[in-house]
Amino acid sequence: MEVKETYNGKIREATIGLGDTAVTVGGETSLPLYMFEGTAPNKPVIALEVYDTKPEDWPEAAVAPYADVLDDPVKWALKCQDEYKADMICLNLASTNPSTGDRTGADIAPIVKAVSDAIKIPLIVYGTANADKDAEVMPKAAEACQGKRALIGPVEEENYKTVAAAALGFDHLAAPHSPIDVNIAKQLNILITQLGLAPERVIIDPTTGALGYGLEYCYSVMERLRLAAMTQNDSMTQMPMINQIGREVWKAKEVKTPEADEPAWGDAETRGVLWEALTATALIMAGSNILVMRHPKAVELTRQFVAALTG
Amino acid sequence: MSKLIATSAIRGAHSLYNRAEAAYNAALAAKGADEPVSFPDTAYYLPVAYALLAIKVKTLGDIKPVLAKAKSMLPEIPAEGAWLPYLGNTLDSGIAALLSEEIIEAMKYVMGPNPVEGIWLGATDDVIVRTQGIKLVDGSMPGFAAVVGAAPTTEEAVKLATELRERNILLFMAGETDGKTMADQLNEAGVEMGWDVYLVPFGRDISAAVYALGVAARAAMTFGGITPAGMKEAREILMYNKNRVFAFVIALGDVDDEKYATAAGAINFGFPVIANTDIPQILPTGITTYEHVVSNVPLDKIVDTAVEVRGIKIKITKIPIPVSFGSAFEGERIRKEAMFVEFGGQKSPAFEYLRMRDMDDIDNGKIEVIGPEIDQMEEGKAYPLGILIEVAGRKMQSDFEPVLERQLHHLVNGAEGIWHMGQRDMNWMRISKSAHDKGFKIEHFGEILKAKLMDDFPAIVDKIQIKLYTDADKMKDVLEEARAAFIARDERVAGLIDESVDTFYSCTLCQSFAPNHVCVISPERLGLCGAYNWLDAKAAHEINPTGANQPIIKGETIDERRGQWSGVNELVRAKSNNSVQKVNAYSIMEDPETSCGCFECVVAILPIANGVMVVNREHTGETPVGMKFSSLAGSVGGGAQTPGFLGVGRQYITSGKFIAAEGGFKRIVWMPKELKEALAGQLKKRSEALGLPDFVDMIADETIGTTEEEVMEYMAKVGHPALEMDSLLG
Repeated sequence: MEVKETYNGKIREATIGLGDTAVTVGGETSLPLYMFEGTAPNKPVIALEVYDTKPEDWPEAAVAPYADVLDDPVKWALKCQDEYKADMICLNLASTNPSTGDRTGADIAPIVKAVSDAIKIPLIVYGTANADKDAEVMPKAAEACQGKRALIGPVEEENYKTVAAAALGFDHLAAPHSPIDVNIAKQLNILITQLGLAPERVIIDPTTGALGYGLEYCYSVMERLRLAAMTQNDSMTQMPMINQIGREVWKAKEVKTPEADEPAWGDAETRGVLWEALTATALIMAGSNILVMRHPKAVELTRQFVAALTG
Repeated sequence: MSKLIATSAIRGAHSLYNRAEAAYNAALAAKGADEPVSFPDTAYYLPVAYALLAIKVKTLGDIKPVLAKAKSMLPEIPAEGAWLPYLGNTLDSGIAALLSEEIIEAMKYVMGPNPVEGIWLGATDDVIVRTQGIKLVDGSMPGFAAVVGAAPTTEEAVKLATELRERNILLFMAGETDGKTMADQLNEAGVEMGWDVYLVPFGRDISAAVYALGVAARAAMTFGGITPAGMKEAREILMYNKNRVFAFVIALGDVDDEKYATAAGAINFGFPVIANTDIPQILPTGITTYEHVVSNVPLDKIVDTAVEVRGIKIKITKIPIPVSFGSAFEGERIRKEAMFVEFGGQKSPAFEYLRMRDMDDIDNGKIEVIGPEIDQMEEGKAYPLGILIEVAGRKMQSDFEPVLERQLHHLVNGAEGIWHMGQRDMNWMRISKSAHDKGFKIEHFGEILKAKLMDDFPAIVDKIQIKLYTDADKMKDVLEEARAAFIARDERVAGLIDESVDTFYSCTLCQSFAPNHVCVISPERLGLCGAYNWLDAKAAHEINPTGANQPIIKGETIDERRGQWSGVNELVRAKSNNSVQKVNAYSIMEDPETSCGCFECVVAILPIANGVMVVNREHTGETPVGMKFSSLAGSVGGGAQTPGFLGVGRQYITSGKFIAAEGGFKRIVWMPKELKEALAGQLKKRSEALGLPDFVDMIADETIGTTEEEVMEYMAKVGHPALEMDSLLG
């Protein structure tokens, strides 16, 4: 006998970018990948990370695929688009972090503009999750890519009015970021929609933990958001979700340590790629819609997984 | 509705319409109907016409229906003494005036002279609207003021501009008084103007005031996501402005007909008018949030009045004190050797008292030190300090007084080098030597409290003034008043029983780790963490309506003795993700409330002793139930109903409703000595109220025994009432 659950909820569809290259995510009518109980019109998509300055703390395995472009965000983004076939670009404004560069919104606006003008695929722009600093930087970033319908994040409880207003004013989407907390995730959604942002322009960032670094905690919060969305028809949890996987995975000790230091752990690149792909696949099962990743080989593995599951 | 205002506004609208029509006809004759018309760099056409009429003006020809609409809205000018015009007529003439003004300005872009000239900036482009709009939405710019006319003197103009800028309020300027404009005055005084400095001169003609409404209309379309289509959307745009764009009009000098008409237009957007001259007032509220027209306000009070009438909340970004402020400093201790002076702590008279006043009784932002300042104090000594905080707010309630007053502890402690403990007239504060060296003064207590209370509680605090008494004689009367208020408050809380209210509050703050747990907070049962009582939850809901504390209408009483109501069950069912179907608020045995994990104490039944024990979190030793607190906590928490066990806040122990279904307070047979001592006063009071004055001594503690047998021996010895009660297990 076949036992099927019927759900009264549905995840909203959200479209990032404009025109032919726009990407639509969400739309599921069942729990993640329960294809026997509902439909998932849009597959999970993968965004590749680009940084506004050359990263100094990346392990060799992560540097290698981008070695020739790391100091030029535009070339880097184009490489991700053209060579690694990213669905989207996630531009991280790491240099605005007050403790590592403290660049201003005016400093990074030209970079955001240059990247957004250069690429054809949709853009995600992320600040450093420093609430005060992002409140200064993100309106400038949103202005610099106006007209592109980008995804702007993270929107924090402490700065949601400013950052979400920037997304609202310059016609982008917003990614409210909650600290692994269903209540705050939901409350932030309520607050930013009350601000005037349509729920179709909201993507939840539930906070990502890498394998071995809180993945299971992150997984259960996402699972709970999806349960609330599907079984309780809770409108304020029915948004697609985004996970910042690359930056979490590639700072884990097990990923960063070179083979020379821990010969028993084996090849560092294989280790890092598997670590990232495993984190990504677990989060797809938890309901992730946008996976922000770093290593092209991990992306490839994740794509194979998506193809195998969704046909 | 003042007839004088109505008549003037209607006359002004006629006059503006005639000017618009003349300018339009001239342009049409010179350039033809296909001549393009636009304001620079905007996708919103002529924004007021687009917002209100959904007409996209691209050419001169497109203006025709706008003019026709303006004309159709023009009421007849009332004859002298003939009839009393309606508010509606005046508002219509305001819309006609704005549409006409926009056409007048647009014709300047077609025919010249260019509105952008000298100090004048003319129309605003979309990027500026978006950038400034973000500040309006996030509150860093609390609102904007449109000034029409000129101040009596240049000095007063500069002062007004400064006062508005200090509050981050954007200032738009248009229109003249006797040939002079406020922008001229600022220019003469050498004040730099422009969008970056929040001083925006639109134009000399009153018609340039329409640019302010164009900004407002576009803010609603951009940030409110409203696309004009007809009357419904036009109304939404006006409502968006009323509810979210905190703007107001300051009318300076003589108000002529055209200015009245423009003001009537602004009132449609919910923007009230504040005038420094003696024009008729329109006080009843309706279109605007509060009053419509307030007149004869002295220039130095005009900003405060405007802020109050429009309900503007000013965000204080930095507290003006010479030491750092932040939660990082809250835990700091100041030892005697590091102390400069101290207040209270039995060494000198001191108190802190917050009370609600009427709006008019408060001189907003005033901080007064009554008695000597710190520079007249000697190192190492104790001085009197009475802190009287007076607040007013349209949504303030006297029940919120203690909630706000209790904030004082963590707010004062947030300042580096300042230490606070206690409350009411039993407080104790120290200023460290290092804070004194940096220049910390008594008045800075006021600065901290003013900034933080306004900033943290904008929903309920509109105005605040603070008096700091350092003179023992002068504080006497206030101290007496405060003490009377404390007694009254205690009586109010004591008189608050579950039966006296129809609304409880839920608390789901802990759902991040106990997903199915809901606290039901009633007057006689506070949250199990001890941090939220019914008044706190009520205030928290008022302050943050979307937060974790939601009102619960009790609904039908299902079981009075056990404390079960239909409304509570419904809410618990919904908020517990359907895992808890019903709860009894007063029972430990049958459908008890769930626990998250934050409880201050665990109550557990001792079946053989026919009673319950209570153990507090701090107690690390064994308990008669055979488990330490830590193991007990593990079996009680997590949001499940566990009959026989209950997580509670300390204050619930002496509540009249404490496990009332099972016989209540008299069931307590054991609790740690430390808890007994901490609650000594309340336990005694409750015992006496039950007619058992010696009951507290009948409760065993760890010095008497930590096994159920030992407890029972003691109960038999002292004649504990639980021995005579019905069996707990039924």
